[in-house]
Amino acid sequence: MLLVQVEKRLGEFALNASFASESNATALFGPSGAGKTSVVNMVAGLLKPDRGRIVLNGETLFDDAARIDVPAARRRIGYVFQEGLLFPHLTVKHNLDYGRWMGGLPADPAAFAHVVELLDIGPLLDRRPGKLSGGERQRAAVGRALLMRPRLLLLDEPLASLDAARKRDILPFLERLRDEAQVPIIYVSHNAAEVRRIASHVVRLEQGHVTATGGIDLLDAAQADVLA
Amino acid sequence: MLELSPQDWTAVLLSLRIAVVATLVALPFGIAIATLLARGSFWGKSVLDAVVHLPLVLPPVVTGYLLLISLGRKAPLGAFLADHFGIVFSFRWTGAALACGIMAFPLMVRAIRLPIEAIDRRLEGAAATLGANPGWVFVTVTLPLALPGIIAGMMLAFARALGEFGATITFVSNIPGETQTISTAIYTLIQVPGGDSDALKLVVISIIISFAALLASEWFARRATARLHGA
Amino acid sequence: MGSRLFAPIIVVLALSGAQQPLIAQEQITVFAAASLKNALDDTNTAFTKATGIKVVSSYEASSALAKQIEQGAPADVFISADLRWMDYAAEHKLIKPDTRVNLLGNKLVLIAPLNSNLGNISIGQGFDIARLAGDGRIAVADVKAVPAGLYAKAALEKLGAWDAAGPKLAQAENVRATLAFVARGETPVGIVYETDARIEPKVKIVGTFPDSSYPPVTYPVAATADTKKPGAVQYLNFLRTPAAKAIFEKYGFSFLIKPIS
Repeated sequence: MLLVQVEKRLGEFALNASFASESNATALFGPSGAGKTSVVNMVAGLLKPDRGRIVLNGETLFDDAARIDVPAARRRIGYVFQEGLLFPHLTVKHNLDYGRWMGGLPADPAAFAHVVELLDIGPLLDRRPGKLSGGERQRAAVGRALLMRPRLLLLDEPLASLDAARKRDILPFLERLRDEAQVPIIYVSHNAAEVRRIASHVVRLEQGHVTATGGIDLLDAAQADVLA
Repeated sequence: MLELSPQDWTAVLLSLRIAVVATLVALPFGIAIATLLARGSFWGKSVLDAVVHLPLVLPPVVTGYLLLISLGRKAPLGAFLADHFGIVFSFRWTGAALACGIMAFPLMVRAIRLPIEAIDRRLEGAAATLGANPGWVFVTVTLPLALPGIIAGMMLAFARALGEFGATITFVSNIPGETQTISTAIYTLIQVPGGDSDALKLVVISIIISFAALLASEWFARRATARLHGA
Repeated sequence: MGSRLFAPIIVVLALSGAQQPLIAQEQITVFAAASLKNALDDTNTAFTKATGIKVVSSYEASSALAKQIEQGAPADVFISADLRWMDYAAEHKLIKPDTRVNLLGNKLVLIAPLNSNLGNISIGQGFDIARLAGDGRIAVADVKAVPAGLYAKAALEKLGAWDAAGPKLAQAENVRATLAFVARGETPVGIVYETDARIEPKVKIVGTFPDSSYPPVTYPVAATADTKKPGAVQYLNFLRTPAAKAIFEKYGFSFLIKPIS
């Protein structure tokens, strides 16, 4: 259960977003420039809000009044970046293991095998990210975030840099992820079609403000003015 | 053909030892300062930048003289170090290594700073979300990605240290077996009647070593870059 | 890949350390005036042969050496090319005064490159060295501090040649660098010690300065104040033996004291 109430001034842009999420697949939906990435960066601990609170499963991650700001490294929130951001100097396998090493977690071959199978990245394990296609990189990035045993998984426009064919290929993986990974996900996107397939709860963000929250029926109303 | 007298051979080995030690000791400081200048924003940053670059623009003899009056055995700091820790720099190869390290330091910092600035900070953010504290991020992400620059910096520093003359001869003078490096040996030989041929042998050797160092640096840096891009 | 970098580094460090002798050999460090290089190298070899003590010599201008000793340089013996720098060392308590003796003498000569047109020149009052140099310069050691330069300046002043010569000087940091200038033909004339001229085949002596025009060139020797090595005193004694005298005289130095056996 995630509670977000954040304010931040970003240059000319004033961000003031409040929402709560209980479902296992929430979408942060809105046009480019709405501030979606900033919001998830704040949830992850990579960006510090000027004011506000962020609470996850009852643990306060950020509260400026109480001077609480848990560092990103201790939040145990997985993050799949728009460009994947795999470590170029490590093999895919080492990228996958990175979260486990940093967390001091014991090896779990079963979990590893499960994630590898879920995302079909078995053949890629010994390659370096430079030798992967866009879709392969994204799948590996998802695997890396999953294997750190996160309490929450953030995905920031994971399909944005892929062409339509790749998107079609990967969407099923994301659906499986939502169904089998047993970790709540926050899915950021400006693409209504993706959101419709992945999310059950939608938070609509426009120009730094939450303008609506609800189920995916929200998307029909918003369809007209979203630039897909 | 390239036979050297024992004294000249000593000078070559001493030069190598001094240059290696100077480079290795300067390395952690070089990485630290380069990172600080690349990432930090603090009051006095441009002052630090200028101080780091001083040995590059000051006449080497000036740098050597400053070392002499601060760390010489009869100077306050030098006497303190000698009396309490038994550490002596002046007229010792350790002083030569210190002088060479200082002269090479700005080159090393410059070579390392750019790659660190060029690193995608979002990768470091990714590492943080995966549970790495800032120290681990530095060691597992920043340093490996800056490695080609670090290697280039080390090799440049090594070559500069090998060729150091002005600061060295002022601080530790020219004592065969202790502080006589290739540069000062050549300098001495060209004042010895008939010494030109020996001086030339040393010149050739120093060119070979510098060339080898630069080629090695190219090779290592290219390999490191290739590995970064998934070779 | 990092390990591949380490191997050559270890090798270099090991090699450069390996040239230290395995058995601790006694060793002394001698700081001597640049003009002594060849003669003293031979003397040092003879000394090592006789006693087994290794000698490391640093040859530079006496002024530079005195300042280095003052800064704490680890010399055991100091040999200056004039009295002034030994006096300086004594004043600053850098030598053991009871070990000091005047050992050698030398003469000041005018030299030119071997292929120069200049023939033998008699040097006396009104000596026109500036005209001799023509468009070129007169090579001397630094006239402000280096003994060979100080003697040269004294001689030129006494002979009334200083005013004209002053602006045409090419000053070098010690007398051997001066010698090298002339040997390479960089200057048409130069002023060095007779002993220097004799070991450089690429120069010829074209004149000798009258003894009355400069203070007698004297080389005092002494053990440094801080030396604790008995080898230093052994060395000083060796310098006074007939064997050493023979070497110095072979190079053209005059031996100033009675030799001891």
